[in-house]
Amino acid sequence: MIEARNLHKRFGSVTAVEDVSFTAEDGVITGLLGPNGAGKTTTMRMLYTLVRPDRGTALVDGVDVVQRPEDARRALGVLPDARGLYPRLTAREHARYFGELHGLSGAALDRRVDELIELLDMKDIADRRTEGFSQGERVKVALARALVHGPRNVLLDEPTNGLDVMSTRAVRTLLRRLKAEGCCVVFSSHVMQEVAALCDRIVVVAHGRVVADGTPDALRERTGKDSLEEAFVATIGSDMGLMQ
Amino acid sequence: MRRLAGTVFRKELRDHLRDRRSVLTALMFPLLGPVVFMVMFNLLASWYRQDRPLELPVVGREHAPSLMAFLERYGAKLVEAPEDYESRIRAGTLDAVLVVPEDYGRQFSSGHTARVQLVVDSSRQSARHSVLRAQRLLEAYAQLLGDQRLYARGIAPELAIPVRVEELDLSTPERTAAGVLNMVPLFLVLAAFAGGMQLASDTMAGERERGSLEPLLLNPAPRGAVVTGKWLATVAMAAGAVLLTLVGYLLVVRRVPLEDLGVKARFDAPAALGMAVAVLPLCLAASAVQLWVSTYARSFKEAQTYLSLLMVVPMLPGMVLALSPVQTKAWMFAVPVLGQELLAGEVMRGEPLGPLPFLIAAASSAAMSVLALRFTTRLLAQERIVFGRG
Repeated sequence: MIEARNLHKRFGSVTAVEDVSFTAEDGVITGLLGPNGAGKTTTMRMLYTLVRPDRGTALVDGVDVVQRPEDARRALGVLPDARGLYPRLTAREHARYFGELHGLSGAALDRRVDELIELLDMKDIADRRTEGFSQGERVKVALARALVHGPRNVLLDEPTNGLDVMSTRAVRTLLRRLKAEGCCVVFSSHVMQEVAALCDRIVVVAHGRVVADGTPDALRERTGKDSLEEAFVATIGSDMGLMQ
Repeated sequence: MRRLAGTVFRKELRDHLRDRRSVLTALMFPLLGPVVFMVMFNLLASWYRQDRPLELPVVGREHAPSLMAFLERYGAKLVEAPEDYESRIRAGTLDAVLVVPEDYGRQFSSGHTARVQLVVDSSRQSARHSVLRAQRLLEAYAQLLGDQRLYARGIAPELAIPVRVEELDLSTPERTAAGVLNMVPLFLVLAAFAGGMQLASDTMAGERERGSLEPLLLNPAPRGAVVTGKWLATVAMAAGAVLLTLVGYLLVVRRVPLEDLGVKARFDAPAALGMAVAVLPLCLAASAVQLWVSTYARSFKEAQTYLSLLMVVPMLPGMVLALSPVQTKAWMFAVPVLGQELLAGEVMRGEPLGPLPFLIAAASSAAMSVLALRFTTRLLAQERIVFGRG
């Protein structure tokens, strides 16, 4: 479970996140939806401890990300905004490296890596160097290393950005599977359709604040609109590039 | 912490060693020093080698038997000149030819100045040394005969020589060779910088540019462990380069005529060991500073530019030392780079040092690396460093 409590962050004179609070439950896919520049990535970075909030904090399974960042990272699996790979290492070596950094080793690590290769359907690329991988293949490797320690909380920043239809479907299947296993899944997106297709709960962020928070149905009800699309426009005040 | 640093270390080294081009560059540089060394020494030796007899082709040997005997007594090897000696001299295959005219004997016996000709091509640098030796021998013969004639008439030869010019050649082969030898410590220190340079720029600036720094820092490993692992990988490359340079010198030195040049230098296994002990601790400091600079740089390219500039630092004291050796003082050992160059130089010259200078130099390098690693770890806690600055 992830709880964000009054997160606030400024960069110089620019306020990136004004005040963001929400709770993401276990066994639920929570979507962080907002136009570009709304503060999604900064919010995510505060949740995964690489940006220190100026005010407020967040709890990951009860662990405070500001006070105990290392423990929080142990409980998190993250697909960050930057998902660069090492071109001279194979896909399997990527997963192993991150597994070792999480303290895994020996047979347990081997088993876990094999499991992920199976789960992400990457047997044919597992022992190839990642140089020249397609976008979809790269995301798979990035997901494998993010999930190698079997985290109960998964954060994904725009996971389907730049992917083709097949890869997008693979990512969606994975997220549903994580949900079925009872994980807390939070992903951010600026694409409404993406969020509508997957999320049980939607947190809409605009100008660094949470402007709506609820199930898709509740959102439609609150705004009195029939389609989600119009519900978003009504909440944010404009479509601001949310529609594709 | 130690295990995590080990994990990072192994990954960085494996990753880097798969980069063939940069490994090849890393291997080339350490071998550059020994190759330059070998070429310079062999050139020097071929210029100055005195024990090689002067080979002098002569036309008309039979006209001046006493001169020929003199020349041979002073080590010249006389041969019959070929017919086409003039064109051979022009082509550079002959250095000089002595021509004794037919009337030499007559002129000589009658007390006139007898003439011989030394045929040379003065535009040819490589012949200069042989020509000079031939001239000196001939002048010495003339001097000897002149002295004898004056004695025969009861006159002291000094009267005929009011002033004698003696040449004092400061550019002795020993000095020049010692200058070349002073390059050895410089190249060793340079190797400590060059060896880890590629890895240092790739492992920090490159890591961020690839977008893999953020995922890496998402692991529960302490920043210090990540920095330590990357630093140790850089140190390994630097130490490898230093050792390779030393092995290169050891191999080359057997093919170099050091004794011919009268150079007093120790280059046996114990000396090599001493130089390794002197220079290896510098790898710690050099790698730590390189890592720090690479973390600070905005991009991979910027990191490479900075690190190339950093290479100039060891060149400065090295150049000064190579040109004008200074009086070594104890505090100098505590200055990283300068200390190592001095130590390696003293070891090479076979000076007895004792362990203290080595300890001082190693301790100052270690202190410097701790400082640079602290700075690097602190940089990694800064958001603008992790996410890059536009």
